[in-house]
Amino acid sequence: MDSLLLSKNDLPKFMTELIKKNKVFAPVESNGTIIYEQITKPSEMNLDFCKSEYPPKALILNQTETLFKFTPGTKAKIESVDIDEKKIIFGIRPCDAKSIAILEHAFKGDYKDPYFLKKRENTVLVGLSCTKPEINCFCTSFDDTPASSKYLDILLTDIGDNYYVEVTNDKGKLLTKSMSQLFKPAKDSDIKKKKEVEKKAVDIISRHQKTNGIADKLDKIFEHPFWKDIAFKCVGCGTCTYLCPTCHCFDIQDESTLTKGARVRVWDTCMNPEYTLHASGYNPRPARTNRVRNRIYHKYNYYPKNFDVIACVGCGRCIDLCPVNIDIIDVVTRAGEVKP
Amino acid sequence: MGEKFEPNIIGFLCNWCSYAGADLAGTSRIQYPPNLKVIRVMCSGRVNPIFVINALQQGADGVLIGGCHPGDCHYERGNYLARRRMAVLKKLLEYTGIDPNRVRMTWVSAAEGVKFAEVVKEVTEDIRKLGPMQHFKRENKW
Amino acid sequence: MVDNNQLREAVKKTISRDDVKYVVGYEKGTYGFQTTPCFAYKPEDADKFIFSPLCVHNLSVFPMLEEKPPLRKGEEPDKRKIGVVVKGCDSRAIVQILQEKGLDRDKVVIIGIPCTGVVDPKKLEKMFPGHIKNVEVKDDDDKFAVTVDGKTQKIQKSELIPDKCKTCEYPTPILYDILIGKEIKSNKNEDYKKVNEFEKKSLKDKWEYWEKQFDKCIRCYACRNACPLCYCKECMVDQLNPQWVRRSVNISENTAWNLLRAFHLAGRCIGCGQCERSCPMDIPLMELNKKIEKEIREMFEYEAGVNAEEKPLLAMFKPDDPEEFIL
Repeated sequence: MDSLLLSKNDLPKFMTELIKKNKVFAPVESNGTIIYEQITKPSEMNLDFCKSEYPPKALILNQTETLFKFTPGTKAKIESVDIDEKKIIFGIRPCDAKSIAILEHAFKGDYKDPYFLKKRENTVLVGLSCTKPEINCFCTSFDDTPASSKYLDILLTDIGDNYYVEVTNDKGKLLTKSMSQLFKPAKDSDIKKKKEVEKKAVDIISRHQKTNGIADKLDKIFEHPFWKDIAFKCVGCGTCTYLCPTCHCFDIQDESTLTKGARVRVWDTCMNPEYTLHASGYNPRPARTNRVRNRIYHKYNYYPKNFDVIACVGCGRCIDLCPVNIDIIDVVTRAGEVKP
Repeated sequence: MGEKFEPNIIGFLCNWCSYAGADLAGTSRIQYPPNLKVIRVMCSGRVNPIFVINALQQGADGVLIGGCHPGDCHYERGNYLARRRMAVLKKLLEYTGIDPNRVRMTWVSAAEGVKFAEVVKEVTEDIRKLGPMQHFKRENKW
Repeated sequence: MVDNNQLREAVKKTISRDDVKYVVGYEKGTYGFQTTPCFAYKPEDADKFIFSPLCVHNLSVFPMLEEKPPLRKGEEPDKRKIGVVVKGCDSRAIVQILQEKGLDRDKVVIIGIPCTGVVDPKKLEKMFPGHIKNVEVKDDDDKFAVTVDGKTQKIQKSELIPDKCKTCEYPTPILYDILIGKEIKSNKNEDYKKVNEFEKKSLKDKWEYWEKQFDKCIRCYACRNACPLCYCKECMVDQLNPQWVRRSVNISENTAWNLLRAFHLAGRCIGCGQCERSCPMDIPLMELNKKIEKEIREMFEYEAGVNAEEKPLLAMFKPDDPEEFIL
């Protein structure tokens, strides 16, 4: 791992160089909210934010993704789509970067999903440490910090006049090497400064989730009336799942006109009754209780069992935007306390 | 685009009046623009606004709904109900910036072949002036 | 100002009845200024019930959300009633549902609360960001008394209430079995200022505005699910055969969804603003709803959710309905 320094004044230069050679996606303010969009000059960026409402996972697991194109009829033809596009996501938060690492488990299992994996491989994650966590941030509950470089290729941390730059792997090195004149080696004092920034951010985080042994605990309370209590106020919309950076379910459909068509996959949500509806008309998850419980179990039980990691990064988006205040911190903490 | 724009218009015509009116226009050999593609429905009251929106999505530049004259509906009140619905839909389209003249409604009886041809002419010309529908047409770019 | 004790008494009394399954009300939420719907199954549960200007949800959606699982052989359906705590606007939703025969009057017990306006949570969060505990909002005449960490601040209501409350004509529930507190008369009038302003723009400007808004839509359908009047068994966007609206998220399908959602609430939307409040992408859906509301008031002299005996707007007609647009 390399520790470097990048002067704040040099950031636009660095970005301009990046934009010259790559497709760069960065946080942009649009209609009062932050979204990750392709930028053409550094001034379009807005780095004064906590998190985007729409998760940057959408740049790798697109909400609508074409799998292949076809022409129907007797001379049917199938045409593959180009997924080789290389890109850089700049300003991604450590929590969102972790989510992409979590998603990878699901897409590189027995079946290796070429679309996700290719895009993941072709993407360089240049992160930015979070200095002002919001009310519902709880990334520290998963042994992470708002300034953790673990899942990023490069992490920038604002330490006053400079950015403290951590380059964690070869992907990142390739970028910094090409512009080595902009970077200085970091001193011990800079590392100390970064630690201070990190600690300050950690201290801001005031909500915590008790996740100790939650996977085993959930095994024992599947049928507990507690779930009905939680789920009754759910209105069954897909906000929590669509905005969750680790949710990855999709629906595959064919779209076509008379002369051409494509197979597309679109995000789907397990909060929707149609998600599990069988062709026979039978629905194994008929009620909201089943569906809300499934969301929690998927993240805190099935995922840890399969991949040894909790599928929640603590970004708090689902809590922020749930119309009825179903609060995953509260739900999981209470689930830990329920008597089986 | 060097060629003249030829609008694509979908017509939902009621089985009992407007469709028969169109038939009469045909058998009487009255000329009218070929831009109208007719879909026969049993009643103008059958026309769900979803048909209209979907037609506009799929590449229609305009939609014409034809029903019986008030009081003449084969099902007594279908055309009255359609009238209310379309009045609201047109206002909604206008509010979102889509010219309400892309959605037209007409009463044509089975005996009004000439009127039918006139209406189609008028609608075609109006929509020709508006130009192609581009607001929310499906791009089918995959 | 609603007396919480009086509310809890009423809930207790209701839930003690043999023919009531449960009562839906509000309780304090898990953080900050949040409140959340809560359910009382036994009289003790009523102790957590509250009402404050933070109670923004429209609870009349819950009777419509009830799943009816298939019964086992010999099993009797649960015919007991559901109790609902409603504000003025929420009660109109129930009236509208009754009018459409989506619900039987004798299946609900309505606990009405005269409401002097709720707080827009987004505006409040902007004013007092990041507070997790010890916050409270109370009603104080033309102001809200906002308490944060022991310090109380009085803020003009006009700064915090959502648009729907600014022009609310029915602060007292139209329909109720029990009323908590006294009836309030409204001196406000719906003037459709925003709609009238927007109408003056050119078609091009209008589309430019809405294109940007619809482009944000992520099709989570929170607007649909939070709406008490969107209770179709199968929504047209979930339909597969024919599939009217594709699942792809792009401007074409998003526009189709948003237009049709607004249209399907024509003459039914009672203006509770749940769609807009729930929208995670902040699409101003109420502007569409208000436009339709205004037009039907002008064209058909009809207002949704005030008279359960009337026929639904689009299921009736008058011979002299406006038809100047017909060729």
